[in-house]
Amino acid sequence: MLPLSYAVRNLFRVPARLLQIVLGGGLVILLLMLAAALSEGMDGVLRSSGSEKNIIVLGTGSEESVERSEIKASVPSELEAAVSGLEEVLGRAAVSPEIHYNGLLTLGGGPGDSRQALFRGVTPAALLVHPEVRLVEGTFPRAGEIMVGRLAAHRLGVGEEAIKPGTQVKVGSTTLRISGIFQAPGTVMEAELWADLNDLRAIGQRDTISCVVVRLDSATFDDVEVFTLQRLDLELAAIRESDYYAKLAAFYTPLRIMTWVTAGLVVAGAVFGGMNTFYAAFASRVREMATLQAVGYSRKALALSLLQESLLASLLGSLFAAVIALAFADGLSVPFSIGTFLLRITPGILGLGVLGGLTLAIIGTLPPAWTCLRPELPAALRSA
Amino acid sequence: MSSHESFIRCRGVTKTYHKGNTPVTPLSALDLDVPRGTFLALMGPSGSGKTTLLNLIAGIDSPTSGSLHVGGVDIAKLKRGQLTKWRASHVGYIFQLYHLVPILSAFENVELPLLLAPLSRKERHRQVQVALELVGLGDRSDHRPSELSGGQEQRVAIARAIVANPALLVADEPTGDLDRESATQILNLLRELVREHGKTIVMVTHDPRAAAVADTVLHLEKDRLVEAADLNMQAA
Repeated sequence: MLPLSYAVRNLFRVPARLLQIVLGGGLVILLLMLAAALSEGMDGVLRSSGSEKNIIVLGTGSEESVERSEIKASVPSELEAAVSGLEEVLGRAAVSPEIHYNGLLTLGGGPGDSRQALFRGVTPAALLVHPEVRLVEGTFPRAGEIMVGRLAAHRLGVGEEAIKPGTQVKVGSTTLRISGIFQAPGTVMEAELWADLNDLRAIGQRDTISCVVVRLDSATFDDVEVFTLQRLDLELAAIRESDYYAKLAAFYTPLRIMTWVTAGLVVAGAVFGGMNTFYAAFASRVREMATLQAVGYSRKALALSLLQESLLASLLGSLFAAVIALAFADGLSVPFSIGTFLLRITPGILGLGVLGGLTLAIIGTLPPAWTCLRPELPAALRSA
Repeated sequence: MSSHESFIRCRGVTKTYHKGNTPVTPLSALDLDVPRGTFLALMGPSGSGKTTLLNLIAGIDSPTSGSLHVGGVDIAKLKRGQLTKWRASHVGYIFQLYHLVPILSAFENVELPLLLAPLSRKERHRQVQVALELVGLGDRSDHRPSELSGGQEQRVAIARAIVANPALLVADEPTGDLDRESATQILNLLRELVREHGKTIVMVTHDPRAAAVADTVLHLEKDRLVEAADLNMQAA
């Protein structure tokens, strides 16, 4: 077998070609990493947003969009009275009435400075059912106040300064003061703006709420569902919070498929581009390969050496892609219709990129290597 | 030539290949015997089959029919993979255009055949150094081919051919690309390898001066081999 140093030196034989392979391959690997990070990030945020212990009680027929749901404002107290075994904290049941509202937020710049935002009208009980929510600055919103999620600025496409605590914003015609900033790592809530429940009812000119979120202790899902079935007059449905977000995740499946199809098409193009480069690179070495065969090296050993070259180039490309991904993409916030998630370039994604790059190298190298090694020796030894 | 104690023995060797749909037979039912330790020069017009015969003897190509024994092995029966292994230890090939690997130094080029043998690094390096000293390039081992003259490149190629100590060396126009002085040095070196190291050399050449160094000169004429002496007689 030829020493690895032979492959390494061949790699640097034409620096411009090496650069082309490393940069071209690196960009494709980068694309693979970003597609994976995008898919994993979107999946992750929807998966983490739903808790197995939480049940959403909402209007019948609105199980796929809580924003469309309307239920009576009395449902939370009736539910609390009817279902025992809900989680309690300091004697308070974990029952959170909520309004989910998608509307315009007007920033300091006036009516023209409006952004579409996701609002949630809540009471302090929201913290009992969403324990992942933590205030990182300021206070929980009281009447006339609103608090913003850590990623809300990214979701709105504004700088963090635009919605810092103390700033006045308008929702509809109501002016609210930003009271604080909260975090809820890895969930859609981090991109939301939470206001007092009554304020949001007034803004939406509604008597109803969107849903009630309850947190189970000894009670089961069936206990809550029985309540919704017994109270047909309230027209309620119950769904596990995790199932609700799983359904939303399924809704985004076509988007994920499109992402992977696009990445796949680019990768396929890259394979042909890579093959073309390697055909050119190996074509100039037919005689050298034939000489090595004449010396006693088998085709297999030479094919392996050619493969080593492209695998090394691919590893350099992967390194380039990893550096770019970690420097510019890791931690980048990506907004989508119901929230925002952070791109995470995890070791798994880096591994996927490397694996993808190596696969590309193998697929892109073997046909040109075969073309280089296939000619009969007498003819190959005479080649230019 | 006598078949007594032949190192190379060809019997009824025919080689046919196809140019498009047309069969071409450069060698037909050829017989040849070459004793061990002979320096044989093959001459003949272009297309007479000299290089084809050389490639068959070197195991680079296989005959279409006939038997071809080299050192007692009928290499006509060996498959491609077996031929590759056989070449590694039994034959050294010297090309007209040297065929050195440009990215490797003279030392590394010469070392190539030894990487296939189960030798320690130390032993490999010793053998490479001996081969380079033998061709007079002990002090050029770090030089790349581009830093050597044509004559020096050919001497590196000869060192590569002999480093694994094969009994047979084949050379295809080894002086064809060299000036007269370098050519003389190369031919003297080949002569020395036969006389002092017992190698058997088969060399294809167009150059009568090169052929004159050989023990035997054979001409390939119309599918058959004719000894130079016979040719002279025919001419007379």
